[in-house]
Amino acid sequence: MLSSIIFFILAFATLSSAIGMIYFRQPINSALSLIVTLLSIAGLFALLGGSFLFLVQIIIYAGAVVALILFIIMFLNIKEENLPDEPYKGRWILAMALLISPFTLYLISLVNKMEFKSLHLQDFGSIKDVGMKLYTDWVLPFEMISILLLIALIGVVILARKEKGRD
Amino acid sequence: MIDIGHFLILAILLFSVGIVGVISRRNIFVMYMSIELMLNAVNLILVALSHHFEDLNGQVMAIMIIAIAAAEASIFLALFVMLFKNARSLDANFFDLLKQEKHND
Repeated sequence: MLSSIIFFILAFATLSSAIGMIYFRQPINSALSLIVTLLSIAGLFALLGGSFLFLVQIIIYAGAVVALILFIIMFLNIKEENLPDEPYKGRWILAMALLISPFTLYLISLVNKMEFKSLHLQDFGSIKDVGMKLYTDWVLPFEMISILLLIALIGVVILARKEKGRD
Repeated sequence: MIDIGHFLILAILLFSVGIVGVISRRNIFVMYMSIELMLNAVNLILVALSHHFEDLNGQVMAIMIIAIAAAEASIFLALFVMLFKNARSLDANFFDLLKQEKHND
């Protein structure tokens, strides 16, 4: 009973802040709204028992990625005239939601046909279990991720450096 | 009592909100954040099904997706800095160099 109350509170927070994120005009409001969405999703991970994913979601997503987005938004010093003027933004969003809704309703009807277990609260996915899985079956993808992060690091430095001879 | 199906329906709704954000807004920051939202919806599906099947592989896949999203975020934001330096705008309609030009002559 308690878990369903928590689920509905988190689901409401997730959906409403996601809709707010695509509706706000200023990108900084969208980014703050995205933080609420990501923290609610972290709460849903905790409800599903993934304690390690809960920590990773808060530290990496809500901590690093959104902090990076906020940092870049403030660094760019965006003025009002730099934003695109979207006079029919609300109407566009409604029209596109109508366009997407058959896809969504079809997927929801597919989920409704299936049988699922009810939620059983337990710690499933503690740091020890996930670490054992990660370092036995998933060693090769894990090492490839580290190479990917190195490539991203070098690529960002090359993209963002000031070129000599220009400016 | 809630079951795993509720989590899947929530994830589907979140993914649809992400698609709507990508195709209806012109602000490149909002488009990027909608992509992040879609990645998170996929993560939610993976973790919910990992709970359903009592199989940890889903959670490890979600960790991989989070790592890739972190790499993607840095590249995206470096690109935004370059685009903003060149065009002084966040409007996606400005970045149309690959569009076919109309021949007026």
